[in-house]
Amino acid sequence: MSDANISIQSVSKAYTRAGETLVVLDKLDLEVPAGEFYALMGPSGSGKTTLLNIIGGLDRPDSGLVEVASEELSQLSNSELAAWRADNVGFIFQGFNLIPVLTAYENVALPLGLQPLSKSERHEHAMYALELVGLADRASHRPAQLSGGQAQRVAIARALATDPGLIVADEPTGDLDRESADSVLELMSRLSAEMHKTILMVTHDPLAAESAGTIVRLDKGRLGSIDHKTAAPGAAAAGKGTA
Amino acid sequence: MLRLVFRNQLKHGLRSLCTIGAVAVAMFLLCVLRSLVSTLDSAVQASASNRVIVQSAVSLFVSLPESYYSKIVAVEGVEKLTHWNWFGGKYPNEQQPLNQFGVRMETFLDVYDEIVFIDGSRQAFERGGNSCIIGKDLAAKYGYGIGDRIPIESELYTRTDGNVWEFDVAGIYESKTSNVDNMTLFFPYNYLDEARDAGLVQGPVGISIYIARVAPGYDPVTIMAAIDEIYENGPQRVQSSSEATFQAMFVSMVGNIPLLVNSIGLGVLAAVLMATLNTMLMAAREQIHDMGILKALGFRDGHLSMLMMGQSLLLAIVGGLLGVGAAMLAGPFIAYSLGTNFPGYEIHQSSVNLALGLSLALGIIAGILPAWRARSLAVVDALSARA
Repeated sequence: MSDANISIQSVSKAYTRAGETLVVLDKLDLEVPAGEFYALMGPSGSGKTTLLNIIGGLDRPDSGLVEVASEELSQLSNSELAAWRADNVGFIFQGFNLIPVLTAYENVALPLGLQPLSKSERHEHAMYALELVGLADRASHRPAQLSGGQAQRVAIARALATDPGLIVADEPTGDLDRESADSVLELMSRLSAEMHKTILMVTHDPLAAESAGTIVRLDKGRLGSIDHKTAAPGAAAAGKGTA
Repeated sequence: MLRLVFRNQLKHGLRSLCTIGAVAVAMFLLCVLRSLVSTLDSAVQASASNRVIVQSAVSLFVSLPESYYSKIVAVEGVEKLTHWNWFGGKYPNEQQPLNQFGVRMETFLDVYDEIVFIDGSRQAFERGGNSCIIGKDLAAKYGYGIGDRIPIESELYTRTDGNVWEFDVAGIYESKTSNVDNMTLFFPYNYLDEARDAGLVQGPVGISIYIARVAPGYDPVTIMAAIDEIYENGPQRVQSSSEATFQAMFVSMVGNIPLLVNSIGLGVLAAVLMATLNTMLMAAREQIHDMGILKALGFRDGHLSMLMMGQSLLLAIVGGLLGVGAAMLAGPFIAYSLGTNFPGYEIHQSSVNLALGLSLALGIIAGILPAWRARSLAVVDALSARA
């Protein structure tokens, strides 16, 4: 996918727990141009992760429109949504979320099994992604044999393997030391600047958010503010938000 | 995906091994027990359609007069007539009596033409006296050969001189059909009769059963009716039956083995199903987070169902193959240890097919619930779960 622009219009989401309704997203609007690196910030419960999950096709809103790469996600069945994720989205999670029984190479090659590729092409793509994150020499290591920073870079390689237009990252540096976190953030900045990936990153860390071209702040399910940093890598385009 | 199926099971190697072991033991037992039933059935199915068995109408354990021979053989359509007497003797160092029969030597091999000599000769057997023929499996078990003398102690026909019976091996036979086993010793009834005349033996007088060979073109049912009619008013009534009916009745005397075997088999299957299902439910619970990752990456509900079903089938099929393989390897040893209690015992192909089919069914049944749970997982919930 080359043009992963995101358009969120009047999206609402609420959960009911113990008879009490909790509004997580409240008629939220957001536009993210393709190829931009956006950071989502805000206090706990502000709806960052829920928004990320909805944009990534992992969850569905109660109401509103979610259009990613010209695809209206609410129109897709569960099966179509899964296929859409496989083709268009790469996920990076705080806890890395690698399959522990598979090697680094096998983890990276896993989503490639859903693509119409030959065995040799899958191998080529997986090794290229591992080389891109500097871990080709760790291909045969299991996740438990890698450091936190290395495991997250493997997760980034997995997110890149299918060459998706959109990468969503939920606290990608949350479990990492500063040095590893910087390395991961530098890698993500390069993905946006050099490979024109649209990146949406949830973070609590202001230093991590500085890597993004635009910082979106959420508060109680509504849009708080949008800061565009013209100097940041990949921050060429503008974002528009309404509360 | 296939790699994940194997790796997930290898992750808990001991647990998987225990489940596979439970399935293997169950399928081994099923194969062995079902083959007992099949062995009994095969003797019935292999029965000759042109033979009629005549026994006392009172009981198989009541002897018929020797004088019946002349009247039965005279019935129209009876081509040849022989008779058998259960001898009930023990071989040296054996605790249980094994199969030996005193037979009417002159016609025995004509009535039972499925018996062929693989060593020795009919002429040597028919010289009479204490000659005997033995089945090839009996010869192999005790290492008997032509000319060997076999000492046998009979509790049914005890010798008054305190000696054991002795029989000289004149031939070793092999039966072409399973209704006559290869673990039996046949000797001339005359030898027993002459010993009785000489006052050397105590035991029942008379014939256990007569066996008539029906001439071509004659209806066995008509012949049975004719024989029964001769003795309808005594002195001792007889009951004629086809060989298949007689074999079936003989099998039923052992007890309702099919019911017993099926009951045990069902119990074992239910136990192993619960063990496999338990393993699979634990595996499914442990893999919820991994399934969330797979769903996030774009794997569909069907993929996840296949992942769980594949693991269940892997356990059941590997266990089934091991159990069936072990049963096939152990078959000859089981047959040897069963001896003449279940002559002709072997692991039947039908039992193997049944065990493999049940293994497959076991895998599918144990996989249904985990597969259904896998497909119904919400991605976000699965990702937030921790094993």
